[in-house]
Amino acid sequence: MIQPQTTKQSPLIQVQNLTKTYRVPIRPEGLSASVKSLLHPQYSQVTAVNGINFSIEAGAMVGLIGPNGAGKTTTLKMLSGLLHPSAGTATVAGHIPWQRHPDYLRRISMVMGNKSQMLWDIPPLDSFRVLGEVYAVPGADFRRTLDELIDLLEMQDLLAKPVRNLSLGERMKCELTASLLHRPAVLFLDEPTLGLDVSMQLRLRRFLAEYNQRRGVTIILTSHYMADVLALCPRVILIHHGQLVYDGELNGLARKLAPFKMLRIVLSSEVVAPEDLPPLPAGAEVAALEGNILTLRVPRAEAPALTARLLQTLAVADLTVEDPPIEAVMDQIYTEGAA
Amino acid sequence: MMRSGFALMRGLWLSWLQYRSFFFILAFGWMIAPLIYLFVWSTAAGDSSIAGLTRGEFVAYYLVLIIVNQVTYAQTNWTVGDLIRYGQMNQVLLRPIPPIFDALASEFAGKVVYLVFDLPIVALLALILRPEMDFQLVNALAFIPALALAWALRFFWGYALALLAFWSTRADALLTLQDSLIFLLAGQVAPVALLPAGMQLAARILPFRYMVAFPVEVLTGHLAGADLWLGFAAQGSWLILAFVLYVVLWRTGLRRYTAVGG
Repeated sequence: MIQPQTTKQSPLIQVQNLTKTYRVPIRPEGLSASVKSLLHPQYSQVTAVNGINFSIEAGAMVGLIGPNGAGKTTTLKMLSGLLHPSAGTATVAGHIPWQRHPDYLRRISMVMGNKSQMLWDIPPLDSFRVLGEVYAVPGADFRRTLDELIDLLEMQDLLAKPVRNLSLGERMKCELTASLLHRPAVLFLDEPTLGLDVSMQLRLRRFLAEYNQRRGVTIILTSHYMADVLALCPRVILIHHGQLVYDGELNGLARKLAPFKMLRIVLSSEVVAPEDLPPLPAGAEVAALEGNILTLRVPRAEAPALTARLLQTLAVADLTVEDPPIEAVMDQIYTEGAA
Repeated sequence: MMRSGFALMRGLWLSWLQYRSFFFILAFGWMIAPLIYLFVWSTAAGDSSIAGLTRGEFVAYYLVLIIVNQVTYAQTNWTVGDLIRYGQMNQVLLRPIPPIFDALASEFAGKVVYLVFDLPIVALLALILRPEMDFQLVNALAFIPALALAWALRFFWGYALALLAFWSTRADALLTLQDSLIFLLAGQVAPVALLPAGMQLAARILPFRYMVAFPVEVLTGHLAGADLWLGFAAQGSWLILAFVLYVVLWRTGLRRYTAVGG
């Protein structure tokens, strides 16, 4: 990965104690209660983001993950200057985002999977030209950047059709092009693959990885598709209930937060009843038993001993020890918390 | 800055070219009410005059009013509220240019389109209906700043009202109210000089006359001397107030928007 001359500089993005509290009106049911709340509105405080800290080097690709309502989008909106934090500080590319200085806005871009920056009724090329002027991109640079993006995203055929006639995936290609025309240093992506089919997801992932390599653009991405995060982000930041729960490698997340291993055993005999198994250590359980395939969820520390015992007592055709699938880890964290 | 403004205008023209007929129907719609009152008053005047205005002078008054109304009508005031309500303000705020640029570009782009439609129709009507006007160069010269100030006043006043969408989802109600007041007090239903005394006073004090009727009165030579200067003074004062209102509402509204999230 390209890490352009940043070794001695401070990180491109620095976030300290960033907090956002919303004041949400409480609207009770019923007419009389509604009238009462009109006269004496009541509010409750909801903390969407609660004192998070992290820093990101230039050229990195970081996944911001967490369940719905965890505070991911609020964090992105604060970093892109759309929201004022309630407390804490952040600097991105030397600017305080929510001051919305034009110089800052020219260095960033934000793509929201559910919002469009394209003009709906005209072909993408015309929208791109408007954006090129809005960002004051010199003509020759504009042409070069546009050609590169069109080439990487294979979108030559889309340029002449009105945007409203494009498919969701084609539109997302346009959004990405539109967001990169002014060569931002930081790209915020909020659910960029939302609602896209598998092959379009793959193509966009490939594009993002390649563009990040080529241009060294720093990318922060939120996604509910773990495949996006697995494919793109060496580092993830997990937010839950507005708090930073984990910051590090995605693989490390499973190790740290899921203190168990999955033992997948293919037996040579056909069907086994759970009673026929040797006694399992405390904390281990049968995750699945289908035909001759047995899956056990075993505490990390018990895994080696149990594996040895199973090999002795059962007729084993094949045995693998794996970390649990990332989706399962995430589900466990989202539902049980990550204590 | 200018380049980005022109680019935004160009984008809008391209979009609108997809809806030619819609915009011409809109322009025609704005023309209908003044046309009705043109016929009502010119018929009522007949061969004599009403409050000193002859048939031909009513025709001239309303033909000029059609153009002035079109030039000053601020269509973006309606769309700004929608941007805020539907959360599209985010896209506008992410751009490195002041958000009012979008509205201004749309204004200027719109004027060009509407005038392309209006000017030939008004010229044709002038040939048929034979307006009478005491044309004087000094009035024509005074008309230009009066028209420009009228547009600016109507735009910033309406824009400020539209920004109330930051606080209330029903801010358009105020824009509807404003359009009704313009209809009554800005010389559309009748020239201000023909209104009952109480309404005439209201028209002279409130800002609405200075959004439409004032430039019409200037060009058609209904104002002279002190009335002219008083009119400019009132128009200028209201414009300053409207602009200050816009600046204050934009700043506080944006602070609120970035506090609660769009």
